[in-house]
Amino acid sequence: MTGTEATGLSGWTFEYGLKPCAIAGCFVLVALLWSFPLQHVIAYPFVFLFFGAVMGSAWFGGVIAGFLAVTLSSLLITYFFVPPLFSMSLTKDSQSFLTAFIVCAIAITVVSSARKRAENAIRDARDQLEAKVQERTVELQRSNLEIKESERQLRLLTEAIPQQIWRADAGGRIEYCNHHLCDYIGMHSETLSEEAFFNVLHPEDKPMFRREWQAALASGEAFEMEARVRGANGAYRWFLARSIPQRAEDGRIARWYGIHIDVEQQHKAQQSLVRAQDDLTRLSRTLSLAEMAASIAHELNQPLTAVVTHAYACREWLCSTPANLEKASATAEKIVQESTRASSVVRRVRALFSEEPHVRKLTDMNRLIQALARLLRDEAIRREVSIKLVLANDLPRLEMDSVQIQQVLLNLATNAMDAMMLVRGPRELTIRSEKRSDAEIMVAVEDHGPGIASEIAPRIFEPFFSTKEHGTGMGLSICRSIVESHQGRLWAENSNRGGTKFQFTVRAQA
Amino acid sequence: MMIKTDAGMGAHETVFIVDDDASICEGLCNLLEAVGISSRSFFTAEGFRAHWSKAMAGCLLLDARLPGISGVELQERLRQSGIQIPIIFMTAHGDIPMVRKVMKSGAIEFLTKPFQKEELLNAVEQAFAVDRLRREEEEILKAIRARVDSLTAREREVMAMVTAGLLNKQIAGELNLSEITVKLHRRHMMEKMQAGSLAELVKLCERVKEPSRSGTTA
Repeated sequence: MTGTEATGLSGWTFEYGLKPCAIAGCFVLVALLWSFPLQHVIAYPFVFLFFGAVMGSAWFGGVIAGFLAVTLSSLLITYFFVPPLFSMSLTKDSQSFLTAFIVCAIAITVVSSARKRAENAIRDARDQLEAKVQERTVELQRSNLEIKESERQLRLLTEAIPQQIWRADAGGRIEYCNHHLCDYIGMHSETLSEEAFFNVLHPEDKPMFRREWQAALASGEAFEMEARVRGANGAYRWFLARSIPQRAEDGRIARWYGIHIDVEQQHKAQQSLVRAQDDLTRLSRTLSLAEMAASIAHELNQPLTAVVTHAYACREWLCSTPANLEKASATAEKIVQESTRASSVVRRVRALFSEEPHVRKLTDMNRLIQALARLLRDEAIRREVSIKLVLANDLPRLEMDSVQIQQVLLNLATNAMDAMMLVRGPRELTIRSEKRSDAEIMVAVEDHGPGIASEIAPRIFEPFFSTKEHGTGMGLSICRSIVESHQGRLWAENSNRGGTKFQFTVRAQA
Repeated sequence: MMIKTDAGMGAHETVFIVDDDASICEGLCNLLEAVGISSRSFFTAEGFRAHWSKAMAGCLLLDARLPGISGVELQERLRQSGIQIPIIFMTAHGDIPMVRKVMKSGAIEFLTKPFQKEELLNAVEQAFAVDRLRREEEEILKAIRARVDSLTAREREVMAMVTAGLLNKQIAGELNLSEITVKLHRRHMMEKMQAGSLAELVKLCERVKEPSRSGTTA
């Protein structure tokens, strides 16, 4: 502390003491020494020389050195050059001369030192400016480097991510794509365009993909769609294409960023799951086939019997004398009607056991229930069960797989009939349909059986859980998965009339 | 036998069809109409029961499986209430126990749908014949009963003793009447019963289960 104070103090002494004194002394001494020889050449050379010394001192040494030089010059001029020479006394003339000199010298000192200060200030400012510029330049260079580095890393990252990534401008023109994308579809990033990409889409997916993408471009909403993309090897794989817009500050879309995720494996897994479910469904259908055979035989026999009897009648009308053509023709018409009915039974049965992939169509739930009740009619009579249908007449038509839903209905209905096997007195199976909203239907299948024991209630939907001797335990679990694939729910509760009530809902596709 | 009735001729024979399938009923009616047999169809067993009256003649063509009261049940109920209309069963697929049961209970035939015209018509023919016999039998019994009813109390006593094998003399003793009076009663009784001989009278009495009395001494 004392050290710095000492340096500060000695610096101050040097700046405002020694340095002005030395400068002023030097200039004045030079002026004095030059004055003597020049006296013989020009008159009063000391005036210019001492003015010069004052100016120089003020310029180089500042205002203190200036005033010192003025003082020294005045004393030396008084002593050496103003009569009486070599004396400090002054005549009256000399006094005014000296006064004029001092005033001029002071003025010179002030002006000179002021100019010097101004120049210094300018120089300082310039120096500072330069330093700042330099500083900025360095900073700029550094940030440039940083940007380049982060860009390089980002690029490395986009290349390292094992997904296909691209960037496009607001109009959808591709600006950049990573090498995964190029490698997969076998194109160079320079030649890859929007159109070229559409061309490697599966023909079935292409129109919809293009439409959706154009819609996204127009609306500025994030885009997401699954599609099959043809690889360089010619094989198609499923990809999930996702794209989000980046907006500029004014809210306009600046560019689009996109990623294509390979979902082929998921698709395969899902398909095999669906297949497995189908197989199971078919299995359980085959298992209930035995139960249904009697019903089907009956269903088919009814119209066949009618056809045969009408045909006999027709022959009788024709063989009578005279032939009753009117009756015969009416009877033939009946034969046609009944044959059509028989073939529709065949068609229905075939649909129920078809292995064709299932299709979802707008379907009337009540018609499914009625068709099922018809199929079960004979079985129900055999088991002395009466089937009661309570159908709402305002049901919305929803998209559903009629075969699968009938499978659910069949399963629940046969379960209900099984449950009532040991019931004495009237056995009634009630199937109810109900509208829950414009997009949701509820169906209830209710029996008069003993109900579900509370200890097994939580397990009834588990696969392979069965209370029946020959049950597979798959029925209800398949039913539940079918219902869930229709955005619905399947649950059981004990009915308030005794017995069990299975209920399920079916909802419109979101 | 000298008894003549008009049963089977006057009564209109009809096939009563009970099947819940309207088109089957229609087909059967059409066929029967074409061969000149009148028919009537019902969709439920209850419907037939409500319509049935004793004066009706013909047969019942009954589906074994019906909603509500089944065909098999209807047969049982008809039997219990003494209605003896012949029944032809039909079904899409009958199991053996069911066939055995209904045949044992007196069904004419068990037809499996779809059936041939001949099968049906033969069965109907047979059923009509059975029904005709039944009705003739009923008519005869009715006639005999009417004859028995026309007898006076004394004549009835005489008849009971005659059919028991008593001689006129014995009957006269039994009833404290003269033999001539007994002979008179006997002649009136034989005339009213329209019996040509004692053997005929016995047969008539057996058919209506009229009791015979051998008298106190016999």
